[in-house]
Amino acid sequence: MISFRSLFASAWMGIQHDLAWTSPPAALVLRTVAPFASAMTVSIIYWFGVTHSGLTFDPARLAFILVGSTLYAHVASYAWVPTIAIAEGKNLSVFPHIYLTARSTALYVAGRALSSFAISSTTSLAALAVAYYVLSGFLQTTIILTITPASLLMLAVALFANIPAALGLGYFLGAYSLYASKFEWSLPGYVAGLLMVFSGALFSTSILPWGVSTVASYLPFTLFIQASRDALIYGNLGDYLTSLGLCILGGVGLLLVSLWVYLAAERRARRDGVLDRRLA
Amino acid sequence: MKARALVRLWSIFGEPLWIVVSIGFPVLSSLALSLLYYSIGAGNYIGFAVLGGVMVAFWGNVLWSMASQFNWDKQEGLFEIYLTSPASITAILVGMSVGGIVGTVPTAVIVTAIGWVLFHPAVAASWGAVAITFALTLASLYALGMTLSSLYLVYGREAESMNEVLQEPVSMVSGLYFPSVGSLSPFPFALQIVVSLIPLTLGMDALRQSLFSSPGFVSLWVDLGALAVMAVAFLAIAAFSLKALEMKGRRDGTISVRIR
Repeated sequence: MISFRSLFASAWMGIQHDLAWTSPPAALVLRTVAPFASAMTVSIIYWFGVTHSGLTFDPARLAFILVGSTLYAHVASYAWVPTIAIAEGKNLSVFPHIYLTARSTALYVAGRALSSFAISSTTSLAALAVAYYVLSGFLQTTIILTITPASLLMLAVALFANIPAALGLGYFLGAYSLYASKFEWSLPGYVAGLLMVFSGALFSTSILPWGVSTVASYLPFTLFIQASRDALIYGNLGDYLTSLGLCILGGVGLLLVSLWVYLAAERRARRDGVLDRRLA
Repeated sequence: MKARALVRLWSIFGEPLWIVVSIGFPVLSSLALSLLYYSIGAGNYIGFAVLGGVMVAFWGNVLWSMASQFNWDKQEGLFEIYLTSPASITAILVGMSVGGIVGTVPTAVIVTAIGWVLFHPAVAASWGAVAITFALTLASLYALGMTLSSLYLVYGREAESMNEVLQEPVSMVSGLYFPSVGSLSPFPFALQIVVSLIPLTLGMDALRQSLFSSPGFVSLWVDLGALAVMAVAFLAIAAFSLKALEMKGRRDGTISVRIR
């Protein structure tokens, strides 16, 4: 049963965990640094590659890469929070207290993911804005982004529409973390790397081999980034709605399957007595 | 030193799955950025992305398995044992570095092999120069890791956040995937000077020169000289700061305080 009180308590705990280790504004600024640097890196790669290969610099292509890189970093940074919440919780003996409560740990995981979504949305958009201005000055170009109330509203809707898919991925990884006690720490690297390659964040999925590109183009994360580009770059409402609809559809499907997997893993983990196992 | 290196090696090679797990980010990020170069029509620079994937494995190892290690050891209660043992802390750190380097080699080899098979990047290497450059880059990089390790002892939970803050910006300014110093750099000269204080920057510059072009004697050897100086300097700073922090920890009684 859904308990909003438990959900909010978990989300608040997540906010405290992520921001209260220093002053919250400083923590937010520090969390903006990584997505900003990541966006700058891929944008400079584009500039460098084009400039030194005698190709024509295309500001629209730069905008494509900038938006994609910021949003892939956003998804990567909150999709793996369930994994870390469980792994770190087991290591620091917080997680056994969570499962002793009357609620399923799925609520705790959801709350932590939602708090991370809120933080990551803030820092990713800040990183996008700062990178936009820095790159515009640095490369002396105009990056073609449409910033209007309507486009920002469309982006906000796309960000929320991606929550089911990211939470679904989080539950899958979390189900693994319930049992793992060694390798779960490196899952974030895999998640970030896979999203870089298969979500169309930096290049069109059409350059991937046949079959892989078809699957990649229908991933909810690819559709989310595509919808965000439709909102911020192309301004195409029809394509935006199509991508958004498919993203929600795929995301809800993924969430339902992964929640079922997570709850089954949780039941079995309780039975096997591995929820409080710290180290293998 | 040998004992600490063996512990690290055993933890990696005693569990082969660990290698499969640790190659994830270096392989996939290298693949993604190679595809980015390819997709924009700059396939002649794909070698930069492959080399970046190799070196990001070592940089990640320095941050997460060197800089943070003493902090984690402190939380687990191991650091007190180090201090009470007759072994020198610097020797333990050097052992950790040697184990970390050897343990990361499989990842580096796999990234190189995958990059080579998929993209066939053009290489015009002076292999002797590559070997010297690689050795000096790792020496200075792991010496930096030792220095950070001593500094991170001061911190509690902040250490991991500091790592997360450092990882991407340093990757960017040190030019893991594109030249950040020299005539091809997009950065202003003043910034190039500042980022040259990071060993990874000069190491990447020298590696790119020795792997992908015929290096100018002067520019390559300036990089190598600076890397050697940095390796010695960071080692000295690490030894000094560890001693100072150990004395402070003993005086304040905080050596065994695990989580703050």
